[in-house]
Amino acid sequence: MTARVALLACAAALVLSACGGTADASPPTVGEITVAAASDLRPVFEELGEAFEAETGTRVTFSFGSSGQLREQILGGAPFDLFASANVEFVDDVIEAGRGVAATKADYAFGRIVLWAPAGVALPRSIEDLTAHQYRRVAIANPEHAPYGLAAQQALQSAGVYEQVQSRLVYGENISDTFRIAQSGNADVGMVALSLAIADGSDYTVIPADLHEPLEQALVVTSTGPRGETATAFADMIGSPAGREVMARYGFVLPGGPPGKQG
Amino acid sequence: MDDWSPLWLSLWVATSATLIAAVAGIGLAYVLAKGRFPGRGLLEAIATVPIVLPPTVLGYYLLTALGVNSPIGQAWERFFGAPLVFTPTAAVIAASISALPFVVRTGRAAIEEVDPRLEDAARVAGHREWRVATLVTVPVARRGLLAGVALGFARALGDFGATVMVAGNIPGHTQTLPIAVYDFVQAGDGAAAGTGALILAGIAVVVLLAVTTLSARRI
Repeated sequence: MTARVALLACAAALVLSACGGTADASPPTVGEITVAAASDLRPVFEELGEAFEAETGTRVTFSFGSSGQLREQILGGAPFDLFASANVEFVDDVIEAGRGVAATKADYAFGRIVLWAPAGVALPRSIEDLTAHQYRRVAIANPEHAPYGLAAQQALQSAGVYEQVQSRLVYGENISDTFRIAQSGNADVGMVALSLAIADGSDYTVIPADLHEPLEQALVVTSTGPRGETATAFADMIGSPAGREVMARYGFVLPGGPPGKQG
Repeated sequence: MDDWSPLWLSLWVATSATLIAAVAGIGLAYVLAKGRFPGRGLLEAIATVPIVLPPTVLGYYLLTALGVNSPIGQAWERFFGAPLVFTPTAAVIAASISALPFVVRTGRAAIEEVDPRLEDAARVAGHREWRVATLVTVPVARRGLLAGVALGFARALGDFGATVMVAGNIPGHTQTLPIAVYDFVQAGDGAAAGTGALILAGIAVVVLLAVTTLSARRI
């Protein structure tokens, strides 16, 4: 008897799921675009996406990840309409492979990295402080495919502390994963994107921009037709005065802005 | 969790994958249990290997086999006008292959346990081999077969590694519940991650209870 009831419950669940799933599994409609974005952009793009939807009625769906992983997905044929990378080189790769519209390539921001410590750990005042014994684990994004991780590694090397800190490094999949590792207390300090620290509303120490290669963040439209046009409109909005104001609020230095802001 | 689309997508993907794995898996289980032919060991190894492969390795091979530069991927794109990878269909394929070994292994054991005298009785009554299978073997082994299908469903529902590689993480399109849980954790949304995790754990427990019940009451 029990077995029969369990089977019936299973069968009912299967039927229900089959009905519920078909509608939601269909590809995004024209009233929606899908944006592959570097994960340092999560808080700011979510805000810009909502503003774009309010203005145009088009829903913007984001897939956040490390720029390197997103590049691989786009080269593999992922159906994204816009690629917002944390590193301009990945955008060039996409264009070279014929998966991006070269004319739409644009710099939209320069990223900054900061030191961030969870509650209960003293915030390091400079990158040299990371050699102190209390920082047993230092979280950075994987420099192999995450531009912010590469910048963190370069900053450690430029400051001359990479050799000492190397054995304490733990790697996040992307910069928001790195922030999560530090935030949960699983690392004593994280080298994360300024945008994420600002969105969190906590204290941070800015790492001087001259310690690493500029995090030149660029975007490119990766689809054509009406979807490509809608994606271009979203890209234009990011570069508009209103968009730049939002980006600046999250700590992004904007291309063409006063150079003093970068130091 | 404000948006339930990952749950519906997961159930849809897992159900479709389970149907595919059930048909292919029970067929394979029967052939492996009854057939005596060269290469049987190899066939069994191939059908079972997704259990022991790291899901990312399975995902890597699937991406290589189905990607835009592969013959299958190019044929698909020519026919349907869009790439196969990074679609819900790709998620179904990944989940089917993950689920298949559970149906095959559990199903094969169930079929081997069927009393050969019952099958002989059907043969004596003049039935051909395929009628013996559908009239006697499969109905008698049904509990074990269903247990395998239920395990396959649980595996299909839970897949992360293979799915994220061939289908990506596109909310509302290919973001299944396990991938959504990962995304919620990354976004620092602990409440949504907890809800998603609880749903997946709950379904897993229900499926295992069903499997235990099915296995305990053998004829």
